[in-house]
Amino acid sequence: MSEMSGPLVVPSAGAAEIAFGVEHEIAPEDPITPPGRWMRENLFSSWSNGIQTVLFAAILIGILKWLLNLVFAEESDWASVATNIRLLFAYNYPVEQFVRVWVSLGTLLAAAGLSIAAWNLDLSFTLRKLGINTATGGGVLVLVGILTPGTAPSDVRAGMFVLGAILLVIGLAVLFGVKDPHRKRIPFEALLISVAGLVVAFVWLFPLGRYEFAGDEASYASGTINISTKGPWTVMMIVLVASFLVGKALGRVLPSGALKGVMAAFWVIGPAFLIFVVLRDPAFDWGYVWAVDVPMALGFALLGGGVLYFLTKPGLGELGRIIGAVLFGVAVFNWVAAFFGLYPMLQKGRISFMLLAVFAILAPTFAGERAARLRFATGWAVLVVVMHWLITAINTPSTLEIVAPPFLGGFILSVSIAYYVMLASFPLGILLALARTSKLPIFRVMSTVYIEILRGVPLITILFFFSIMLNLFLPGGMSISELAAIFTGYSLFSAAYMAENIRGGLQAIRRGQYEASDALGLTTVQRTMFIVLPQALRVTIPNLVGQAIATFKETSLVSIVGGFELVRIANQTIPNQPDYIGQNRPALLFISLVFWAFSYSMSRASRSLEQHLGVGTGR
Amino acid sequence: MSMSDANIALSAEMAARDNMITCRGVKKWFGDFQALTGVDLTVKDREVMVVLGPSGSGKSTLIRCINRLEVHQEGQIVVDGIELTNDLRNIDKIRSEVGMVFQQFNLFPHLTVLDNITLAPVWVRKKSKVEAEATAHELLERVGIPEQAAKYPGQLSGGQQQRVAIARSLAMEPKVMLFDEPTSALDPEMISEVLDVMKDLANGGMTMIVVTHEMGFAREVADRVVFMEAGNVVEINEPEAFFTNPVSDRTKLFLSQIL
Amino acid sequence: MTASTAPVTHSSQARPPIWRNTTILKWGVQIIVLALVIAAFTFLVSQAKTNLDQKGIPVDYDWINDPANIQLGEGIDTQPNSMGRALWSGMVNTLRIAGVGILVATIIGVFVGLARLSHNWLAQKVASIYVETLRNIPVLVQILLWFAILTSLGDLTQDSGVLNDFVFLSQKGISIPRVFFADGFYQWLFLLLVFGVGIHFVRKRLQRKQDLEGGDKHIGLISFGLWVLAAAIAWPANPIMSWVGSIFDAIADVWGSIPETLMQLILTAIAVGAAVIWIRRFLESRRTPAGLAKLTDDDWFRMIFAGIAALIAALFIWILWPGLSSWIINSGRDFFEFLGNKFGGERGSLPLDAMKPTLSEGRFVNYGPTGLTMSVFFASLFFGLVFYTSSFIAEIVRGGVLAVPPGQSEAAAAVGLSRMQSLRKVVLPQAFRVIMPPLGNQYLNLTKNTSLAIAVGYSDVVQVGQSLYNKNNQTLAVFGIWMTFFLACSLTTSLVVNIINRRLEIVER
Repeated sequence: MSEMSGPLVVPSAGAAEIAFGVEHEIAPEDPITPPGRWMRENLFSSWSNGIQTVLFAAILIGILKWLLNLVFAEESDWASVATNIRLLFAYNYPVEQFVRVWVSLGTLLAAAGLSIAAWNLDLSFTLRKLGINTATGGGVLVLVGILTPGTAPSDVRAGMFVLGAILLVIGLAVLFGVKDPHRKRIPFEALLISVAGLVVAFVWLFPLGRYEFAGDEASYASGTINISTKGPWTVMMIVLVASFLVGKALGRVLPSGALKGVMAAFWVIGPAFLIFVVLRDPAFDWGYVWAVDVPMALGFALLGGGVLYFLTKPGLGELGRIIGAVLFGVAVFNWVAAFFGLYPMLQKGRISFMLLAVFAILAPTFAGERAARLRFATGWAVLVVVMHWLITAINTPSTLEIVAPPFLGGFILSVSIAYYVMLASFPLGILLALARTSKLPIFRVMSTVYIEILRGVPLITILFFFSIMLNLFLPGGMSISELAAIFTGYSLFSAAYMAENIRGGLQAIRRGQYEASDALGLTTVQRTMFIVLPQALRVTIPNLVGQAIATFKETSLVSIVGGFELVRIANQTIPNQPDYIGQNRPALLFISLVFWAFSYSMSRASRSLEQHLGVGTGR
Repeated sequence: MSMSDANIALSAEMAARDNMITCRGVKKWFGDFQALTGVDLTVKDREVMVVLGPSGSGKSTLIRCINRLEVHQEGQIVVDGIELTNDLRNIDKIRSEVGMVFQQFNLFPHLTVLDNITLAPVWVRKKSKVEAEATAHELLERVGIPEQAAKYPGQLSGGQQQRVAIARSLAMEPKVMLFDEPTSALDPEMISEVLDVMKDLANGGMTMIVVTHEMGFAREVADRVVFMEAGNVVEINEPEAFFTNPVSDRTKLFLSQIL
Repeated sequence: MTASTAPVTHSSQARPPIWRNTTILKWGVQIIVLALVIAAFTFLVSQAKTNLDQKGIPVDYDWINDPANIQLGEGIDTQPNSMGRALWSGMVNTLRIAGVGILVATIIGVFVGLARLSHNWLAQKVASIYVETLRNIPVLVQILLWFAILTSLGDLTQDSGVLNDFVFLSQKGISIPRVFFADGFYQWLFLLLVFGVGIHFVRKRLQRKQDLEGGDKHIGLISFGLWVLAAAIAWPANPIMSWVGSIFDAIADVWGSIPETLMQLILTAIAVGAAVIWIRRFLESRRTPAGLAKLTDDDWFRMIFAGIAALIAALFIWILWPGLSSWIINSGRDFFEFLGNKFGGERGSLPLDAMKPTLSEGRFVNYGPTGLTMSVFFASLFFGLVFYTSSFIAEIVRGGVLAVPPGQSEAAAAVGLSRMQSLRKVVLPQAFRVIMPPLGNQYLNLTKNTSLAIAVGYSDVVQVGQSLYNKNNQTLAVFGIWMTFFLACSLTTSLVVNIINRRLEIVER
């Protein structure tokens, strides 16, 4: 809902000359100013400036004190969070199956490391920046220590003073002890390795204590955290650093662009498979998968691929269109048959058939030499396999159901929902955006009506509607799990916002681009695929990241319709545990931090990526 | 003013050739504004026709109608024996036979120069990638920028971009080339490099319609010059006669303002 | 054309076959897709109907008048006698919190946004932290957090205030003194309106004088002074307008006596008339001195669409919802009666009055002349929404001001405008144009987010609706009401934003 508010800043069509292949350079930083002069210039340059300083200092200290009182209030039992960490992140995920989560995460980190190396992302910064950030951090920590109320444990307060002082001293030493800190950059390798090292050192050395919640009993032992936590995290950090170094080495050996291509392909299809590794129910019905799901996916991939390979033959003429139209008719009839109950067919079979028909109709525009035809057929096969894989993951008998005890929940559920919703709403959003900007009035009106209605109502009503009502709309015998219903509703909702974001990108494309492609004789589909969408999506990337963040945040609403999502665990499950009756405040504060950390780092990452790659700047 | 002048202006040799483009009574409205008020015009095979006229006189609209970037509402346009109707097959055919070069170049900024040129041959003409690339390199050689193949349009100068645009159109092996003020958006020092390419093309026997303000080019290269005003053809003549002895008063006024 | 024209070879003068005719293809594809969508929709709806019939749940709105038997936490009617009335109270609650929320969020947002633009380092940093913290935490979590904080406050006693007797802060809610409209308010307002006409004329004369003679005639200052004077005079004199009430009563009587059929006819006439006028205007705009221009497919479609829309409206008025006209008649009458009752204040009645919170038996007295009280439900939703939305508004304000090119204020300085003048006359009007559309979006988001009331139990339209369909299973019908309500809100908002935008555009030119 909230900030998926369509294209806030529609790049004006005139100004937007999208730059491609242009390198961006980072501007050099200024040298540091002496503190006295800095304060004169920034805090007390004039009377009004001085008043502002005093006012905002008062506001800052007031809010900080209030927050700290809240955090360290006597009635807050933070053990309720510490013992429930696993519940919050993975809910009832079987402990013996955690390796699946770690494998997934490890693969993602490895891919991240390789990608950073492949794209040569230089996220290094200068010693000046390091010094300022460290010193500021230390200073803030000391201030927090001073403002912390007496109700806080004394060792926590002491820890704040000590750590703050150390950081302050290190920061100041870097700033004033080193000559020209603004000219010295820390190499990215060193940065990565030291961050990973710090994480490992922290989990092994810092005495956070060992909290556990087994059955209904909470237990606590002093010392460092459990080996089942610090072990995997150590491996994760090693994987990240190692893959980065491997990537660097590969970059020297392989031809340029090879690694980039592989990694890009991974990011497109990899997450779909990884998320399945996590989502798969331990009691997954493999027999059904082998007997039904796999043959069906392969059948569609191979037979469909064959048909499409035939249809892309140049000079097939009207025959291709006729075959496409016939296939389309059969696809429509499949749905009609469902209505009258003529013959049974799996829902995903109907969907796949419909997709195949659409591909067949488009086939003539993609006709060409052998290689191009093979590419088209392969694209189809990949699409089918990924789609079936995803559908299997969420909607195969014995996969997930919300009934107790739910298998999926917590942070993993939030991430999965956000991922699926973004994935599903992307193609739909593109279609809606194209329809809304099209010259064909009926399409335009239909798409506008859809978008405006979905954007006009709150997400929560859509979720209610789908979780309660979707099964009513399906023909007899068909049913869909509640979670899948929520996915569907949320995706349809999200698609409307996606469409508005993409429309912003479409409007940034100059008319001349359309005219040039028409003059060259490209068909509408070719023009859209090769000229319009690649440019529009590139401009849209920042908005799409924004939408991904919003989608992730709004998965919190799933808690209201019954999903065991972070918010529901924090606000209902934990306060009902016998040890922590009514303790929802610490957990809510904690999940705020989780949401914040995830959203904030995502937006920061996208912003720095934007600057680095020069995407979406419209200049 | 009538078409009889046009026929007088045709040399005997030219008259013997086939008609490449025929317009009869072409009318076009934009909302309540009539941009073309019944244009009659014939372009012969291998003829170079330069269209002159004040801005808003319908020059651009006319040539945009010829490859159906704009849809004319009345009258008849026939290109190489194919009439432009709402027949999909005819439109596709004409578009792939008529090349167009725009004032603003309209290169695809997200594709390299090479990809810009090979895109249409591969997807419209269904050529193999290898063949299309070979042709593209040849064309880049011909327009004088063989070394820029791997660059993006944003990295080229205006003149280079326009030459790539010409190469992109030529890659479709068109029978007719339309130029819509190809040098108007260029810095003065780059105009000649584009005009040189166009002269080469004209000498090579390409049928061309050129909307331009380059009088020197018109005198040197054109077989006939057309003067348009308020959506219609006012005068057609051979360049020498057109510039030295214009028939219509409107043409005289225009020439006195521009020369 | 003449003899030199070569004959057209393999001419395709004839109509092309339909599968190659672009016009037919274009419309054919659209109509087929439209038909498919309609078919799918019909199918789903009929399926739902069948399924609901099997469960014995009819889909209609007859239940609106059934007794509700629910109790609302707060609002205009906490013991509604019908389900419709309950939903109505819920809607008012939604609008109440949305209206106040929008106001406060805008004030905070503008303040924070400008602080981010300040030259002061600390102001910048504090504002950035505010924005980056609040907008990255889901609003639902923030609302629940406020709820957890507020419900853990102490019991309500005489001294549980921050400022005893004046500001109370407790787990029963927050209460502060307030100013409210007293008996004479509307009379006072009406009197002011009369004075306002006079002030307008004075203002116009002064303006003309200033335009003619030049110099500063202090128009703003003088008219402000006149307004203050008028308000002061009208304050005790308000009862002289008490007769206005009878006018409204008379209007109510007339309105209430309109026959239903006549109202239906009027509504139909409005719908058809609007369509006819639109089409005529449209054709007018396509007319040239030389006659009517060629109409494109799009033009035809628009005209046909306008006609169809009018037909649908007529269908709606006469068949789908025949009760519409009586609803308009009844609510119009009620509205004017309501206005009429606002007049007739006696001598000595005041326009405005102020009260501090009153307590009885450990809770606030909510109605009548008392303090302004926010229940914890209202307060937690309110704080959550306001702070969350204000962080987005702050970013919009900042973006809007930054979007004005620096050349504009340089140019203003070059023609000799002062910094304030340049800000008022040059920078802000332009920034406002950039700010307005996304700001409207945020207002809409805030309104939609009030639906999260359900998480804390504030009786908004969604929460009330849910408790109703839990009773009678009319989920589909309730969903229809939700949708209509929120769509009405969003249409109104975008209408207002569009009007403001258009006015700003004129200002700019």
